[in-house]
Amino acid sequence: PLGPVPLQKEHQLQFQMMEAAYYHMPHPSDSERLRSYLPRNTCATPPYYQQVQLPHSDTVEFFQRLSTETLFFIFYYMEGSKGQYLAAKALKKQSWRFHTKYMMWFQRHEEPKVINEEYEQGTYIYFDYEKWGQRKKEGFTFEYKYLEDRDLN
Amino acid sequence: KMGGVTPQQMAVYEEFARNLPGFLPLSERDTQALFMPKPATDTTVTSYVANPAVAVAAAQQVVAYATASAVSNDEVGAMLEKLVAEVEIVLTAMGPATPPAQHGALHSLLESIILTRRSRDTGAAMNLLKKAVEGLLDGPTISSGVIDSEVVLRYRDMHLRILKCLQDPRAYGMQWTNKHVTRCLIESREEFRYNFEGVDCLIRSHLVSLPQYDVALAQAVEAGNALATAFAMQLVQLYLIDERQTTHVTESDLFHTIEILARMAHHRAPPEGILLYRLTSLIDSLRANHDPGILADRAPAGPTAHIHSGILQQARDFDDPPGLMDKTEYLLREWVSMYHNPTHARDPTKAFSIFVHQMNIHGILKTDDLITRFFKLSTQMCVDLCYRALAESAAAPSLVRAKCFHSLDAFVRLVALLVKHSGDTTNTHTKINLLNKVLGIVAGVLLQDHEMRSTDFQQLPYHRIFIMLFLELCAPEPVLEAVNYQVLMAYCHTLHILRPAKASGFCYAWLELVSHRVFIGRMLAITPQQKCWGMYAQLLIDLFKYLAPYLRNAELAKPVTLLYKGTLRVLLVLLHDFPEFLCDYHYGFCDVIPPNCIQMRNLILSAFPRNMRLPDPFTPNLKVDMLQEIAHAPRVLTNFASTIQPMTFKKELDSYLKARAPVTFLSELRSNLQVSQEAGVRYNIQLMNALVLYVGTQAIAFIRSKGHAPNMSTIAHSAHMDIFQNLAVDLDTEGRYLFLNAIANQLRYPNSHTHYFSCTLLYLFAEANTEAIQEQITRVLLERLIVNRPHPWGLLITFIELIKNPTYKFWTHEFVHCAPEIEKLFESVARSCMVQKQVQPTPEPEIPE
Repeated sequence: PLGPVPLQKEHQLQFQMMEAAYYHMPHPSDSERLRSYLPRNTCATPPYYQQVQLPHSDTVEFFQRLSTETLFFIFYYMEGSKGQYLAAKALKKQSWRFHTKYMMWFQRHEEPKVINEEYEQGTYIYFDYEKWGQRKKEGFTFEYKYLEDRDLN
Repeated sequence: KMGGVTPQQMAVYEEFARNLPGFLPLSERDTQALFMPKPATDTTVTSYVANPAVAVAAAQQVVAYATASAVSNDEVGAMLEKLVAEVEIVLTAMGPATPPAQHGALHSLLESIILTRRSRDTGAAMNLLKKAVEGLLDGPTISSGVIDSEVVLRYRDMHLRILKCLQDPRAYGMQWTNKHVTRCLIESREEFRYNFEGVDCLIRSHLVSLPQYDVALAQAVEAGNALATAFAMQLVQLYLIDERQTTHVTESDLFHTIEILARMAHHRAPPEGILLYRLTSLIDSLRANHDPGILADRAPAGPTAHIHSGILQQARDFDDPPGLMDKTEYLLREWVSMYHNPTHARDPTKAFSIFVHQMNIHGILKTDDLITRFFKLSTQMCVDLCYRALAESAAAPSLVRAKCFHSLDAFVRLVALLVKHSGDTTNTHTKINLLNKVLGIVAGVLLQDHEMRSTDFQQLPYHRIFIMLFLELCAPEPVLEAVNYQVLMAYCHTLHILRPAKASGFCYAWLELVSHRVFIGRMLAITPQQKCWGMYAQLLIDLFKYLAPYLRNAELAKPVTLLYKGTLRVLLVLLHDFPEFLCDYHYGFCDVIPPNCIQMRNLILSAFPRNMRLPDPFTPNLKVDMLQEIAHAPRVLTNFASTIQPMTFKKELDSYLKARAPVTFLSELRSNLQVSQEAGVRYNIQLMNALVLYVGTQAIAFIRSKGHAPNMSTIAHSAHMDIFQNLAVDLDTEGRYLFLNAIANQLRYPNSHTHYFSCTLLYLFAEANTEAIQEQITRVLLERLIVNRPHPWGLLITFIELIKNPTYKFWTHEFVHCAPEIEKLFESVARSCMVQKQVQPTPEPEIPE
C-alpha cells in the first residue's frame, strides 16, 4: 500500500548472498543424526503416489499391525529412531524378548523345561539378523542377566 | 653477571617460560626480548660436539661473542641512549622555573634510564617504569600555566616515550609494560592518582590495561571515594559520549565502572560533592547511545564476553605457536577414528579419557589460550574438509554429506565431552565459559568464511556443528540439565550475532536452527517461568527485520519466497502450540512487520490465551460490553512508552493528556511523526504505533479513574480522543493509513485494548467529517479480512458491527458502490463472514511441500 522503495546497497548485497545460499539449501539430514543404513534420498515422486506417511503411522497400534519381519527390519536398520522404539515395543507385546549379549530377539517355542531365579531353559525361536531369518534353538539357556528389561514407556 | 648464560642454560629458561602451566605462554618475540638475544652461531656449536675439547672452546667463544653482541647490536640500548639525551634537553628547557620536586624527579629518572641501559635486568626496568608513570602524573600541567605549554608537552612526550620504549617487543613487551603501568597507576599517591590529563595520556597511548584498570576504578567508586567517582564520570563522559566514535575505548572496557555508576544513580546516594542529576543524566545519555535490544551486540562482561573473544580469535591466526597446526591435525584425525571405532563406540568415556591423555601429552590442555587455538584450528580443518567434499561434484550427494558428517560429528562430540567434563561436576562456570568460547570461535570462523568466500559460502558445516552440538547438550543428563538455561542463552546470543542481516548466506540454516523442534521446545516450553521467551522473541524480530525490505516491495524472488514460507510455517507452529507467546510479544512483532504483510500479521494478532473461549462474533445481538474479559488489559512485553522520542515530545504529550492544552500540541503532532518528504517513507511508523497504544492505554486508565468503563460514550470528548481525531483529519493518506493500522493492530482477543480501540475506530468512522476517512477505515478492516484465515476476533467484531449497526449507515456510502467489483467484494465478505459457522479459526498448515 505504501509503494515500493528501492533496495539499499546493503540489501542488494544481502540478497546476492541469500540467492547463492538458495542453491545449496540445508538438507533434512543435516539436522538429524547420521543414518548409517537408510540415508535420506530425496527425489521427485509422481504426484499420484502417496507423498506423506499414512496418518497415525507413529503409534504402537500401527506398529502392531506390521509383520515381525518388518519390525526386525525397523529395529536393526533404523537405530536410534522413534521407529526403533515403537518396533521394540510392538515386539515385546508379541512376547519377543531381547537378548543383550547376542543382540537378538527370542521367543519361547514352548513352555521352558527349567525356570529358576537365574535363567530359563528350553526351545526358543530367535531372529538371526546375519542370516536374516527365524531359527529354532533347542536346549537354549536364556540367562536373565542378559534380558533387556527396560520399561519402554 | 660475568659471562652471561650458556645457550644450554638459556634453553632451560625458555622452556620454563613457555611451559609453566597457568601462565600465558610467551610468543617467540617475547622470549627473545625478555632473555638475551640468541647468538646466531648457536647451531654451529653442535657440529663440533664430536670432539669435546673443541666443543668447550667453541662454547666459550660463543659466550664471549654473545655478551659482546648484546651490547653493540642492542637497539633497545640505542633507544635508551637517545632518551637520556632527551631528558637532558627537557631539563635545560625547563630551566630555573622548574619546581625543585620535578627537577629532582627528572634527575632520578635520568639515573634510572642509565642504570636500565647498563644492567638490563627487570628490577631496574621496573624502577624506571615507576618513575616515568609518577613523573607523568606529577608533572606540570598546561592548565596550571606556570611553565610554557610547549615545554609541558615535551615533558609529557618524553615520559611517554620512555614507557613506549619499555613496551617495545624487543624490550619488555606490551603485556608486561601495560600490566605494571596499570598497577603503578592504581597504587600511586591519591593526590595524583586522579590526574585526568595524565591518565588520559596513558590510555590514549595504549599503555594501560583497561580491564585491570576498570576493576580497580570500580572498587574505588564502590568504596564511596568522591574523587574517584568524579574521575570515573569524567572518563565515561569523554570516551563513551563525547568522543564515542573516535576513541578505541568501548563500554565493555569500562564495564564494571559503568555498572557501579548506574547502580549509584538509581539505588543509592553518590558520595558528597557529586551531584545526583549529573550522574543520572550521564547514565541516561549512555543508555541512549546503547543498543536497547535484549541481546546486545557490544560485549558486556559475563558469558557473552567469551563468545566475543571467540569471534576475535580469528584475527590472531598469525601468531599460532609453530607446530600447533600439525599437532591439531594429528589429534583431530586420531579422535575422528576413535569416535568411529566400534570398540570405543561402546565405551565412549574410555575413548575420551584416552584422548584427553593424548591432548595432555601434546600440551594442548596447558593453557586456555592453547585450548582455544586448538578449537579454532579444528573448526577450520573440519570446514575445509567439507568444502573439499562438496567440490567433488561426481559423488552421490548422500555420500558427500556422510563424508562431511564423519568428521563434523566427531568434532562435535569432542566439544560436547570437553564442555561436560571441564571443571568438576558442580562448577558450571567453566563449562559455560568453554561453550561460549567454542560457539564464538565457530561464529568467528563462519563470519570470516562468509566474507572471504562470498557467494561460494557453504552453510552446511556450521549448521551441522551448531545443531548437533545443541542436541548433544540437550541430552537427558543431570550435569547438562543443570546448565541448560545457560546453554540456551549462549545459543541465542550466537544466533543473534549470526542473524540474517549479518550473515545472509547463512539465513536458511539459521532459520532451521531457530525453528528446530528441540530448540523451540526448550525455549518456549521446557524452561520454567518463560525465562527464554524474550530471547526467542528477539530472534524472530531479527528475522522479520531482515525480510522487511523485500516484503515491503512485494518483490518475492524465489530465495525470498522460500524464506518467507519458512517464516509463515514457524508462525503457524507458534500460533498452534504457543499462542500466549505470540500474544505477549505481538506489539514488537507488528512493529517490524511491514504494513502490507497482512496474513503474517493476522497470524500474530489471531493468537489468544488457550484458557479463553471466544464468543462467536456472528452471534446475533452479541453484547461485547457484557464480556468479563473486556475489563482485563493484555500483557504487552515491549516497552513502547520508551519508543516515544525525543523526551521533549513525550513530556509535551503527557502534559497535553493531563491539561488538554495547549492546542498547538495537536497542530504540531504531524510534524513530530513525519520524518521525510518522500512518498512511502514519510512517517516514523514505530513512533506512530507507540503513540497510538500509549494514548489508548492512558485513555483507558483515565476513564477508569473516573469510575466509568470505556464504551462509545465515555471515550469521547477527552484529550485522548482529540489526538486521535486530529490524526484522522490532519494526516495525509499515507499517515492516516499507518495510523489506522496502528489501531487495527490492537483488535485481537477480548481484552480492554481490543474493546477500547474497537470503539475508537467506530467512533472515528461515525464522527468523520469526510468520506475519505470512512473509506480508509473500511479499507484497513476489509483488507485484513479478505485474506485467508485466521482472522483476529476483535477485527471481525468491529467490522460486523460496522456493517450491521444501522447507526453507521454503512451501505449508503458511495465508496461501497463505487465499482461493481468492490460491491461484489463487500457482498462476498459479508457472505463469508455470515456463512462461517465455526468462529475459532483453526489454523492448519496449508503450505504445499
